[in-house]
Amino acid sequence: MRLRIIESWVVGVVTEPVVSTFYREVRMSTPSRKRLMRDFKRLQQDPPAGISGAPQDNNIMLWNAVIFGPDDTPWDGGTFKLTLQFTEDYPNKPPTVRFVSRMFHPNIYADGSICLDILQNQWSPIYDVAAILTSIQSLLCDPNPNSPANSEAARMFSENKREYNRRVREIVEQSWTAD
Amino acid sequence: MQSEEEMHSSPEVIDAISSSVAVDDWASFRDDDIMQQQTAIKAEEADKMPFVGDKEPLSALAAEYQLGSPILQEKIKILEESYAAIRRTRGDGNCFFRSFMFAYLEHILESQDEAEVARIRACVERCKKTLQTLGYADFTFEDFFLIFLEQLDSVIQGHEDSISDEVLLIRSRDRSVSDYVVMFFRFVTSGEIRQRAKFFEPFILGLSNGTVDQFCKTSVEPMGEESDHVHIIALTDALGVPIRVVYLDRSSCDNGNDTMTFSTPSEAMFEKDDRKTVTKGLAV
Repeated sequence: MRLRIIESWVVGVVTEPVVSTFYREVRMSTPSRKRLMRDFKRLQQDPPAGISGAPQDNNIMLWNAVIFGPDDTPWDGGTFKLTLQFTEDYPNKPPTVRFVSRMFHPNIYADGSICLDILQNQWSPIYDVAAILTSIQSLLCDPNPNSPANSEAARMFSENKREYNRRVREIVEQSWTAD
Repeated sequence: MQSEEEMHSSPEVIDAISSSVAVDDWASFRDDDIMQQQTAIKAEEADKMPFVGDKEPLSALAAEYQLGSPILQEKIKILEESYAAIRRTRGDGNCFFRSFMFAYLEHILESQDEAEVARIRACVERCKKTLQTLGYADFTFEDFFLIFLEQLDSVIQGHEDSISDEVLLIRSRDRSVSDYVVMFFRFVTSGEIRQRAKFFEPFILGLSNGTVDQFCKTSVEPMGEESDHVHIIALTDALGVPIRVVYLDRSSCDNGNDTMTFSTPSEAMFEKDDRKTVTKGLAV
């Protein structure tokens, strides 16, 4: 079941025609596009556990990604979709990253945007797409209650862990059925 | 009596209203709003001040502090004994690295010291190996290294790609070159600190109360994070380029200006208040 979902979202990650489209694009390319091509290569060759991502057809500046909820946590089994929008300033500026799947997490806003230091003032070009997605994955189980983006989730996380975990399980189940 | 009471109470009412408005504002104020505001402030600053300023006589600095502290005026006089001109750099948190970039490349452009270029190339190669050993993926830093090496090649005259001092200034003001070179220095600095973590650890502990890794992640690798002695020591050690920092602050100047020399004295210099670069190379 998991696999089916990823494939429909990440459009067959390594199919040849897709890759050659990107190479065509890279020929008239800018530093940010070239760098994104290498981010993509690395993500394909050496994918971190529980993460996948690829540029949308014909547009290397806009990526779809999926993060799996880490095993043995309330997030276990969840498949959460995100988009990453890059600009020509990448990698000097971070991409705009948003969850498309509904989330319930202290550091994720209702519209899916994420409150994470490396996506804001602590950004550095040392992070590639794999590193960004890995950081977001670890944020899932390790929220920072000091910068709440969802105050209900933040309060529940510190005051009523049982209810918090129940809400997370709901989100996990929703992630299976949502488009 | 009544009117006096009114006068007393009315400011409080206004305070209460304005603070409740402020609280509401804060509640709806999100991280990206703050980021946008910071970007707007930076853009405003950028209009006022290029990354690297034009050469100005030290008298311009003296005029600016004419009504200021007599100690500062005295220190500017002492400065005039060794330096002829000043260049300001934008106070955007990258000023040390940017000053270093401009002063070093200008020095190479003027001296045409090919032995130094060969030496620095070997250092840069070592820095690359350091980062690889530390586990950095090549593609995350190689563009930054490449752009620095391109600038280094282009200041050596007699090639197709050679550039004049005017073009060097234009490139130093161009974000697509300048920020890449600043980031190159940040990589070099971070690699040096991490590689010699044992040496830097006690200084970092005193500065930030965090680990070496945290320090590099939060204070060296992100753009716009200001430099302190730790950064300066790491960069000058890694590249073997000595610099002198002269502090223009209000401490006593009985023994001349406070000067920190990193390795042996040479070209670049920047002020503690973070805004001005003087390059000794200009004192021709």
